[in-house]
Amino acid sequence: MSQANTRPKPFLLPDYCKGCGRCVHVCVQGCISFTQEINPLTGMVPVTLDLAKCTGCGLCIEACPEPYGLKAMEAGESFELQDPATLFGARRSTAPEPVDIPGRVIPMPSSEPLVIKGTYAAALGALMAGCRHVFGYPITPSTEGAELMAKLLPKMDGFYLQAVSEVATVYHMYGCGGAGLPSLTFTSSPGLSLMLEGISYMIAAELPGVFIDIMRGGPGLGNIGPDQGDVKLACRGLGHGNTHAITLMPSTPQEMLDLTYLAFELSFKYRNPVMVMADGYLGQMTGKVKLPDHMVEPGLPAWGVYGDLNHRGNLNSSVFLDEATMETRNLKLFDKYEQMKSEARAECFQAEDAEILLVACNTPSRASKGAAQKLREQGARVGLFRPITIWPFPIEQLLPLLPRLKQIVVVEASKNQIEDELRLALSHAGITDPPPITHVQRYGGILPKENEVVAHVQNLLGRA
Amino acid sequence: MSDAFYGTFDRHNEGKGLKGHTTHYCAGCGHGLAHKYLAEAIDELGIQDQTVTVNPVGCAAFLHFYLDTGHSSTAHGRAAATAVGHKVANPDAMVVCYQGDGDLAAIGLAETIATAQLGLPITVLFINNAIYGMTGGQMAPTTLMGQITTTSPDGRDRLTGGPIRMAELIAQLDGPVYVERVALFSPAERKKAKRAIKKALLMQKERRGYAFVEVLAECPTHFKTTPEKAMEWVKEQMVPIYPLGVKKDANFEPWFEMPKPTFDPATFLKAVGASSEKPAGFCKGFPTHIHATDISLKLAGSGGDGAQTVAMLIAKAAINEGFDGTHIPAYGPESRGGTSYADVHVALEEVHNPASPNPDIFVAFNAPSLAKFGHTVRPGGTIIYDSAVAKDVKPVDPTVRVVGVPFTDIAAGLGKMVVKNIVALGALQAATEIFPQETLLATLRDTLKEKAALIPLNEKAFAMGAEAAREAMKK
Repeated sequence: MSQANTRPKPFLLPDYCKGCGRCVHVCVQGCISFTQEINPLTGMVPVTLDLAKCTGCGLCIEACPEPYGLKAMEAGESFELQDPATLFGARRSTAPEPVDIPGRVIPMPSSEPLVIKGTYAAALGALMAGCRHVFGYPITPSTEGAELMAKLLPKMDGFYLQAVSEVATVYHMYGCGGAGLPSLTFTSSPGLSLMLEGISYMIAAELPGVFIDIMRGGPGLGNIGPDQGDVKLACRGLGHGNTHAITLMPSTPQEMLDLTYLAFELSFKYRNPVMVMADGYLGQMTGKVKLPDHMVEPGLPAWGVYGDLNHRGNLNSSVFLDEATMETRNLKLFDKYEQMKSEARAECFQAEDAEILLVACNTPSRASKGAAQKLREQGARVGLFRPITIWPFPIEQLLPLLPRLKQIVVVEASKNQIEDELRLALSHAGITDPPPITHVQRYGGILPKENEVVAHVQNLLGRA
Repeated sequence: MSDAFYGTFDRHNEGKGLKGHTTHYCAGCGHGLAHKYLAEAIDELGIQDQTVTVNPVGCAAFLHFYLDTGHSSTAHGRAAATAVGHKVANPDAMVVCYQGDGDLAAIGLAETIATAQLGLPITVLFINNAIYGMTGGQMAPTTLMGQITTTSPDGRDRLTGGPIRMAELIAQLDGPVYVERVALFSPAERKKAKRAIKKALLMQKERRGYAFVEVLAECPTHFKTTPEKAMEWVKEQMVPIYPLGVKKDANFEPWFEMPKPTFDPATFLKAVGASSEKPAGFCKGFPTHIHATDISLKLAGSGGDGAQTVAMLIAKAAINEGFDGTHIPAYGPESRGGTSYADVHVALEEVHNPASPNPDIFVAFNAPSLAKFGHTVRPGGTIIYDSAVAKDVKPVDPTVRVVGVPFTDIAAGLGKMVVKNIVALGALQAATEIFPQETLLATLRDTLKEKAALIPLNEKAFAMGAEAAREAMKK
């Protein structure tokens, strides 16, 4: 009995007690009881302690669900000290201020060009940008990229994980990107639809990650033909909320590599996902691909939730219940979207003196290039404007060409999705009387062909 | 009080007032105890700096108010997938997936099962209170039969399913090392709960595998009762449906190890097969006798004819010679046996349009392909077709040269049908002289360098195809 008396007895700050009574039921001595008195500060009814019979068994302390609820009173502590800072110790988090661990640029010996398909080129671009974590769910026509990654990553001590779904894929990226590391997935249109929720969360929590979307014919299951029907998702529909992401539109296997590489840089620069969108043809297309002259070993950003002392205090989150805080959060994202506009890129081909300007991305831009050349041979002043970023739209690069233009022809494998980006950009730039805009479009897994573009322009010229 | 809790809950109302030291949970809620046992286990195992908790959508969405660890707050149902991302990014991280019943057993079921079966060392705490607490007391997958909720106002019945036993389900899988169901309604059960949470973390720390602890928890608010009666309800109503105890305790040796990624240029170049050796060139110049700057080819046949391989060889040969080359394959939906077309371009500087709507050179492996594309060949172009299988050649532009070579017969004569496409390549070379023989043979040898035994046969097929084309053109 004398030994029992030396065990610490419980102490409770009534303000921190919600009166659940888990402690009341475990005390065999009946030291703790419910009261009827409402605590004026909390509106709760705390329990009261009468420790005359307390044996210090500790069961009440173990039963208390509140971190600052029942506390064992150590020898020498005084009941008088009711300041929590004294009672619980003025303990601050011992986590240090996190610091950036910089990455490293590693020079590469020069090598002969490879002859590889677009998806492979994108995979190599990712590896050279320092990505060693790839997640994905197989979907035609993007699978070759994932297959190559599954083969190459183990050789570089990286990790490929086939996820249970596209929904899971994007959260593997949320976790890996959230830890501060580069990650990638290959997908195709129906898969992108499934990933949109997670992309919204990644944008909200400001996490990097690169999405390679090899677009196929839709809507629905559609087919595996080449298409551009995901442009509106990338530009206007990245999940719920006010979301945007830089969206790159390669047109050659070489660009599949270069733009994927760039995507990682941009993704970490802005702490935002980046989309690389190609049509199915480009994914499958084999061409000449030169490797960059350096490779990146990524560092570890200060903000990552990596699971070490340096990053212990960090939190990735998109939940801000207070509306004003959430509005501020939105404004911060909008600032970032404004800064992203400086990343707009475009290629002009025979555009300086053009009167008819073709606007096209991905493989249709190459059919358009061919058409522009053919039409030039016939004496028509036709050029090509190729947005390399479809969001942000490269409007600054387009504006100087406008005064000379008599016609704009948008060539795309979707219903107005690229054209709408152009029209929106013109409208936001205050262009109220742009040249007439017509289009050459194919749908359902078919790309517009060179001769269709030629015929359309010839028709326009005949009418003019 | 555990050191793993913040000294002040600064993220809870900025730590001001009472919220700086109290949780947001209702009186009698089970979450507080689960948090406490988790915090104590983190202390006791000395893993605070490594710990990343993955916080779900549900009442525990604000775990980051309380625990002084890394936090990743994620979408409803996606905690398990997020946890995997954290674990593979840093295998030394102690990843704790803290989930409620909607998150884990409804919307996230696929991720829950897949992650458990994957078996990476992750610790999952599943708080089962048979109700959706945060959204206001709706039916959960774990709601008991007859239990009244806002979405089962007359009590859960057969048409709305039955309570799902997650611990038993998870324990059946091969991935998990340790699965236990615990409760919080008595000192003895609380002791077991605390021990189970610590053991689940230990399984991760020791790299043994995935561990899952299901905690039967009280939600007095939505049970519409007192904390005391809520405990009784868990004991009397839930436990018979959700039996407590260890469901799996396997003896996994520590196995989990992930190497640190390498960024060594030589390893990379070897893995991708890049070489610094310039391939030998044999061309004297661009084959302008076909087109001044950009030659387009089409090859068409059935899957298995090898049209794509030949297309690839031509594009590769072009690039080896310092030109540009592209190849676009198009297949039918079947993996084998369907239609298989290839568009190839060889350009002096840059291929503008890689499609071949009007090819300069067309190779047909069968009659349907010949009929489909023969007429698209541009005037002055060349058609090479398998005369062993395509007998009727429809009339084409009179300036188009049509060369019939029995690819199939020659390949059969060599005893290997698979070299039919190389016969065609030889015929194409002889009929068009797009590249010198050596250019194509060097590319062919390079492609076969890991199957060197096949090189002589392929060279023979190439030579016989070329010879047959020359013979055919004499006629």
